[in-house]
Amino acid sequence: MDKNISLTIDGKEVTASPEQTILEVARENGIYIPTLCHYEGTTNPGACRVCVVEVENARSLVASCCMPVSPGMVVKTDTKRVMDARRLVIELLWASGDHNCLKCEKNGNCELQDLIYLMKIDKPRFEIESPGYEIEDANSMIRRDLNKCILCGRCVRVCSEIRGNGVIDFSMRGSQTKIVPAFYNDLIDSECEFCGACVQACPVGALTFKQARFGGRPWEVQKVKTTCPHCGAGCQMELWINKDRIGAVYGIEDDNTENRGQLCVKGRFGLDFVHSEERLTKPLIKKNGGFKEASWDEALDLVASNFKKIKEKHGSDALGGIASSKSTNEDVYLFQKFIRVCLGTNNVDFCTRFCHTPSAVALSRAFGGGAMTNSMRLSEKADVILISGLNLTEMCPVPGALTKHLVTFDNLKLIVVDPRRIKIIDNAEVWLSPKIGTDVAWTNGMMNVIINEDLYDHDFVERRTEKFDELKEVVSRYNPQKVKEITGIPKEKIIEAARLYAKAGRASILYGMGETQHIYGTDNVSALCNLALLTGNMGKEGTGVNTIAKQNNGQGAGDMGCLPPIYPGGQQVSNPEINKKFEKAWGTKLSMKPGITESDMVITKGKVKGLYVVGGNPMRSGPNLNNIEETMEDMDFIVVQDMFLTETAKVADVVLPACSFAEKDGTFTNTARFIQRVRKVIDPVGESKSDWEILCELSRKMGYEWNYSHPKEIMDEIASLTPPYGGVSYDRLENGGIRWPCPNNDHPGTPYLWKEKFNTASGKGVFFPADYNPPAELPDEEYPFIFSTVKELCHLHTGSYTRYSKALAELSPDDLLGVNPSDAEKLGITDGDDVKVSSRRGEIMIGVKISDRIPEGTVFSTFHSSKIPVNVLTIDALDKLAKTPELKICAVKVEPV
Amino acid sequence: MKVFRSHILLCGGTGCRASGSLAVKKALTEELAKKNLSDEMKIVETGCQGFCAMGPIMVVYPDGIIYMLVQPDDVPELVEEHFIKGRPLERLLYKEPTTEEVIPTMHEIPFFANQELRVLKNRGIIDPERIDEYIARDGYAGMAKALTEMTPEEIIQEVLDSGLRGRGGAGFPTGLKWKFAAGSRGDIKYVLCNADEGDPGAFMDRSVLEADPHAVLEGMVIAARAIGSHHGYIYCRAEYPLALTRLNIAIEQATEYGLLGKDILGTGFDLDLEIYQGAGAFVCGEETALMTSIEGKRGMPRPRPPFPAIAGLWEKPSVLNNVETLANIGQIILKGSAWYNSIGTERSKGTKVFALTGDVNNVGLVEVPMGTTLGTIVFDIGGGIPNGKRFKAAQLGGPSGGMIPLEHLNTPIDYERVAELGSIMGSGGMIVMNEDMCPVDMARFFMDFCQDESCGKCTPCREGTKRMLEILTNICEGRGQEGDIELLEEMAGIIKDSALCGLGQTAPNPVLSTLRYFRDEYEAHIKDKRCPAVVCTALFKSPCQHACPIGMDVPSYIALIRAGRLEDAYKVMLRTNPFPSVCGRVCDHQCQSKCRRGTLDEPVAIKFLKRFITDNANRLKVDPVPVTRKEKIAVIGAGPAGLTAAKDLAIRGYQVVAFEELPEPGGMTRYGIPSYRLPRNILKDEIDDIKALGIEIRCNTRVGRDISFEKISEDFDYIYLAPGAHKSQKMRVEGEDMEGVFGGVEFLRDFNINEETWLKGEKSLGSQVAVIGGGNSAIDAARVARRLGVDVTILYRRFRQDMPAAKEEIEAAEHEGIKIEYLVAPLKIIGKDGKVAGITCQRMKPGDFDSSGRRRPVPVEGSDFTLNVDSVVAAIGQTPDLSFVPEDSGVSVNKWSYFDVAEGSKSQSTSEKFFAGGDAVTGPWTVVGAISGGHQAAVDIDQAIRNKNGEFPYEAPPEEKIEIPLEIDEDTEEQPQAKMPELDNTERRSNFDEVELGYTLETAVEEAKRCLRCDVEI
Repeated sequence: MDKNISLTIDGKEVTASPEQTILEVARENGIYIPTLCHYEGTTNPGACRVCVVEVENARSLVASCCMPVSPGMVVKTDTKRVMDARRLVIELLWASGDHNCLKCEKNGNCELQDLIYLMKIDKPRFEIESPGYEIEDANSMIRRDLNKCILCGRCVRVCSEIRGNGVIDFSMRGSQTKIVPAFYNDLIDSECEFCGACVQACPVGALTFKQARFGGRPWEVQKVKTTCPHCGAGCQMELWINKDRIGAVYGIEDDNTENRGQLCVKGRFGLDFVHSEERLTKPLIKKNGGFKEASWDEALDLVASNFKKIKEKHGSDALGGIASSKSTNEDVYLFQKFIRVCLGTNNVDFCTRFCHTPSAVALSRAFGGGAMTNSMRLSEKADVILISGLNLTEMCPVPGALTKHLVTFDNLKLIVVDPRRIKIIDNAEVWLSPKIGTDVAWTNGMMNVIINEDLYDHDFVERRTEKFDELKEVVSRYNPQKVKEITGIPKEKIIEAARLYAKAGRASILYGMGETQHIYGTDNVSALCNLALLTGNMGKEGTGVNTIAKQNNGQGAGDMGCLPPIYPGGQQVSNPEINKKFEKAWGTKLSMKPGITESDMVITKGKVKGLYVVGGNPMRSGPNLNNIEETMEDMDFIVVQDMFLTETAKVADVVLPACSFAEKDGTFTNTARFIQRVRKVIDPVGESKSDWEILCELSRKMGYEWNYSHPKEIMDEIASLTPPYGGVSYDRLENGGIRWPCPNNDHPGTPYLWKEKFNTASGKGVFFPADYNPPAELPDEEYPFIFSTVKELCHLHTGSYTRYSKALAELSPDDLLGVNPSDAEKLGITDGDDVKVSSRRGEIMIGVKISDRIPEGTVFSTFHSSKIPVNVLTIDALDKLAKTPELKICAVKVEPV
Repeated sequence: MKVFRSHILLCGGTGCRASGSLAVKKALTEELAKKNLSDEMKIVETGCQGFCAMGPIMVVYPDGIIYMLVQPDDVPELVEEHFIKGRPLERLLYKEPTTEEVIPTMHEIPFFANQELRVLKNRGIIDPERIDEYIARDGYAGMAKALTEMTPEEIIQEVLDSGLRGRGGAGFPTGLKWKFAAGSRGDIKYVLCNADEGDPGAFMDRSVLEADPHAVLEGMVIAARAIGSHHGYIYCRAEYPLALTRLNIAIEQATEYGLLGKDILGTGFDLDLEIYQGAGAFVCGEETALMTSIEGKRGMPRPRPPFPAIAGLWEKPSVLNNVETLANIGQIILKGSAWYNSIGTERSKGTKVFALTGDVNNVGLVEVPMGTTLGTIVFDIGGGIPNGKRFKAAQLGGPSGGMIPLEHLNTPIDYERVAELGSIMGSGGMIVMNEDMCPVDMARFFMDFCQDESCGKCTPCREGTKRMLEILTNICEGRGQEGDIELLEEMAGIIKDSALCGLGQTAPNPVLSTLRYFRDEYEAHIKDKRCPAVVCTALFKSPCQHACPIGMDVPSYIALIRAGRLEDAYKVMLRTNPFPSVCGRVCDHQCQSKCRRGTLDEPVAIKFLKRFITDNANRLKVDPVPVTRKEKIAVIGAGPAGLTAAKDLAIRGYQVVAFEELPEPGGMTRYGIPSYRLPRNILKDEIDDIKALGIEIRCNTRVGRDISFEKISEDFDYIYLAPGAHKSQKMRVEGEDMEGVFGGVEFLRDFNINEETWLKGEKSLGSQVAVIGGGNSAIDAARVARRLGVDVTILYRRFRQDMPAAKEEIEAAEHEGIKIEYLVAPLKIIGKDGKVAGITCQRMKPGDFDSSGRRRPVPVEGSDFTLNVDSVVAAIGQTPDLSFVPEDSGVSVNKWSYFDVAEGSKSQSTSEKFFAGGDAVTGPWTVVGAISGGHQAAVDIDQAIRNKNGEFPYEAPPEEKIEIPLEIDEDTEEQPQAKMPELDNTERRSNFDEVELGYTLETAVEEAKRCLRCDVEI
């Protein structure tokens, strides 16, 4: 931005760039102009008129928020004319509603109040008239008191422009003007996603947090910055804490965050699980088939003795541990250290095994590292984004919203691949709707077109890749006609998508579990890697192959070595040098034998006798649950450490109460390698403890003496052993996140990977072409439907904590079976009916939701509720490399009941 | 091509359709078929002819005979008479409202004759649903020229040179707008037509679209070519179904003919046009809101910059032009800019279409050259104001505009002049308002409109208009306060200065405009809680009572007549009026002009009913009032003002003495009004009742002659000066001082004093008299002269409708055989032997408008003529004779010889001791006006005394309770006013008996039943 023009504001000569507004220039120069409707990141409507200023030779006063500066402009911000106009506007707004601060949640934090005070207005010259609207709060989250609304429209703009939702808008005219959802419904009956952005944007008390009502006024609360514990986006938030309770939640409006002020319903309103009555508060020991409360000593002694017993009787490898993608880096680091050091085995894995491990495998072999290559923020630099197998707006709502924003305001184009007409397709340029399980085929098809039409990046392929010929040979078999036969996608669509992607200056790929939860999940991801390499969309901003982890610390748990063959930082346990390094650091002998996966532990009977599960819930998340139940019942001893009594905890012998994210310090690494702080905001609930504290105590009982006094010490140890985290410390994280690799203290972090070279043996990107192969189980006459599991906005994973949030449970109480209308008609079922769904492995009863977003012949269900064990249906066929089950496809029948 | 004997052009515009033209068409088709005329006569359904008030309109060519108000029932007769017998059917022809002259052909009717049709050149001539008819009248020739012979730059230059300015209202030069958009870079550009006409009372665009849709399309193609656009939208309000239908047909036909769409006329130029229907929001006429609306969003304006020429619709360079602007384009290109700018004013070229509505005879659509005066439009084309009411103002620019009042009728209408007067040209809505318009109420109405139509986006408009409306409503409802006007002005200024879009920025205009011209009426509402136009119902019980200067309780006494309680009715009248029987005869009855019944059929005959009471009720005995106060008060002049004050003061306990120069009390009622209008005994009875209170009247006592001013000053504590206006104004013509030239009042006074002498012929006017003037005195003098057997000619320099005299008096005069010559002014009196022998006059013609809103008479050179007369009565006006007031008295007299009134008072003179009232303060006014002055003076004198003494204000003794019956008829049937029985004409000429004979009881009760009882809240 060149500051190449000069103008005068209040007699002061200032320089500016022509795209700046008067307001921006004034603020830059320390000249105060009040605003109300202006809201960073949205268009300037010029509506409230408090920012009016006098511009020489202008016919009337001008709104400084939307008036661009021009050379030689003479601006006056404080003349009587300006002040009179401002004062009248403020008086009019004041008199227009029920601006009574006594019981207003915004008291002390209200922009109208600030202006009245600043302008020293005693009282308005007009009678104060409240419109007398009913308070609208039929939902448990947002209280709308439109009697306080000043119609600045910030909520409308943030909803439509930033969130791309447009749920609310102005209605009526004149002084009757009112901001409402469609049909004047309450928000709960509208399309509102309850991201709460409107509440955060509201300058007055019209929109407030219902959960925080009477929960502490702005000057009474403690405001703590932390990282959202829900999905992998890593949104930064400020929690308002009063008397050990979380009240209002604000997104941090800082450019150095992934979310820049935005949150989703889970972050905004779904933190109340922390205060759930059903939190575990004491250790439990199973006696005679039931749980009894026990002291920590008693419980930990029992755990230690049982682990020792099994180790002695069956050897270390008869033990295993499953970590969680939800825990902090410090917790999971210590967990894998515990398994490796105290139990003596590499049988440590984490729940990502059931979802995203194929990414790790495919990305590692293609590029040399299994992480998102770029970041959500960097998608802003892309011209095209291909989104596949990823319901972005529900899985990762904040990046989803920002993506929609870019489509609307910044010429970003989307190619979306999904059998369902998911919401983001409304913003897509091209939608490919393949049959489930045919991803390799369409991806190869796109590459076929790109190579045939010579749209690929010769230079990049030449300089930075290997095995191009193999790729060429394989994809030559996938002309659009053939692809159409396999996938059902029209030829033209394949061609259109291929051209759009290949011709884009910068194209990025975002994908999710639609690609990975298949027996050919690794091939699927490899195909995407091939596509990116072929077109040179790697190693620069706005490109890459970007896996979207669904959980807050899925990336971190992998980084921290909760994987059978590797130590933290992707260091192979089988590498003698590495092994020696860790033995030295941890002061003990370590096994060089790669461990077994979670799938091996819980699906295959008899592989482990003793199991330690922290925060995981394979009894709901795993495939073919009846089998898993048998496997677990077969084990000698199971410890589960969690906040709630999960289905997995119910089969445990000892249950240890763990703290929530709000009760401890630590770090999360988001899906885009961004390491950010989690801060303790309340005291632990009951006798619950942080994972790291439990592990320290347990290690002592296992004969090791770990004396960490604070997670920051654990991070120091992580940094010393994990090269990509080498420069990470709490001191540095205090001011914002760091994106790894960050090898040393001076390193600023890495926005995107593989800029110069890849981390493969040759330093080049490797094509791993694959042919299309059919899924493990396809529909037949007896089981005519494909069944697929999906996630939705309000819940994560097995809902093991989101369902303890009143707000989230209100919005989305049950799992439902999504059915296409014509299938529903054939089956003779209607919305809300219960049906029996059965596969060769089991059956469930579930309610029906009919939706034309669902393709014919396929039924979908979430698996967030404890009531319905959806995964009894799914098949435990595994990807042969990643050992990830094919949760996305199995054959079922649906019968009305 | 088939040839027809005659074409019948039947108007199919929305207005005529509403008044039944489709039914007429059906009847006509059937009737022609029945008479086997279908092959000879062709019916063409045209667009709006503009003369909507007279619809359905039918023009028969080749003669151009125009029929008005045609109904299906008229069709058989019309066909029979005109189409078979060849005789135009006279009863359906146009009659000039003032002259009642029948005008058969269209081009002779002033409504059409004064127009200059350019935009509307095809109106009523072509069938808008047939493109061939448009093409036959040079349609699309301008476009062809633009596309084949001109570069975009040349097109823009031509439009620039033409001086065409945006007809949507703002008047931005159209060529300049195009130039900006043409210079704006972008592969996609839009041409947009603003057909979201939303001003109340405006229907110009609708009419153009209905009558000549291709003209708009042609303009759009040329505009598109000029700026390089290939896609356009016409944003038309959905409330215009006919316009939409015809636009759609036009687009379809033009596309079919290759005049729209791809490769227009084979030139390779493409333009697709789409119609976008607006949903009825006024703000969507604002250009950015219109664009936002087309984008599918809520129609709200957005800030500028960026300007639409840079980033308009979908942020692409766009040009938005109004319908009328576009309809001009084809002809400008075809005929050239020089042709176009040959008419108009310096900075406003061409013509402007106005939708003339409101209180005007010829409601309709008119197109006139820029610079035509407002008066021409309202009075010549518009035919003036209906029902003899006075023009008050015209609102231009609808709710965004302002009023142009009476005093600016001569204003040439163009962008600059209109703006100077605080209004705007607007899109052309011209709402004519008569004397019954209350400016505060009107400002409130427009503010209410703006408040309703504010999109709600910006604070000044959304909340500011609401508050301004609140203040205006308060004022209208009697809750106005000191400071309201100032607050309105402050808010208006800030809202204009700070609102986001044109709607808000102009919303305060009607308030500012009405404040500019009618501030006194605002003040009357706020300070006196009076609505001078008698509109703001919250301020009064009934319009008649409010219109009455002394607030007579009209509905009550009328209700009492109906109940047969005449004495009670009389008592009710006497509460406010000491001279009800006088007023029942000679009052100008403002009450009746505001009577609600008048909006149904005719006003209730309030004056006659009042007289009926005084004629028939038993007179009440009046007892003297004891003098209870020490202050003595003199009243100078025993006319209605003086006697009213005397009565009021006597009732308050003061001793009052009235001094009267003439032999009997009564003032002008006794010596100005002839006895055939006001019998002497009636007047005497009422004056006797006043005297009976204990008031002394010293007649034949002229102050300054019979008693000195100083003496009265010494003898009395307070003096009320009410000497009236008894001196005629001079004509200022040669020979005026000759014998045989009388002043109007002097003649009447002399006659009334020396009636016998005149009747005996000892005094005489000769055999022929010319009476000069048009007021009541002139008529009185003429009618008296007539009764003396003289041949009377009234000479009046203006039109009949301009005469100030009561209409019924003029009619009576004519009835009695008095000749009236209009547009004649005296030049000199010709004498013979020192006596009048004749009067030389000059014919006058109407000129521009004077400050009273009437045409100023202008002499016609060489039109002199002489009337042989024996005498001349000059009744052109009166002034007071205040020569009795010594210069050092401290009582100041102004240059018109009226008393000055002290600031802040209504009756106190510039000296504390002297009060003044009646005609000597107001100028010649009415009896009731004088009575109100008397009341005022009594209140003020009493208050002055009490203030001085430190006493509490006067508290009137409780009035006798009179129950007012409430009888209302459930159904009101139309029924005109009951006629007043009159003395036979032959009898009148020979005597001075009262002409009006009075109602019978039966008639009076029937008439009383016509009262709608607006005073009652049910």
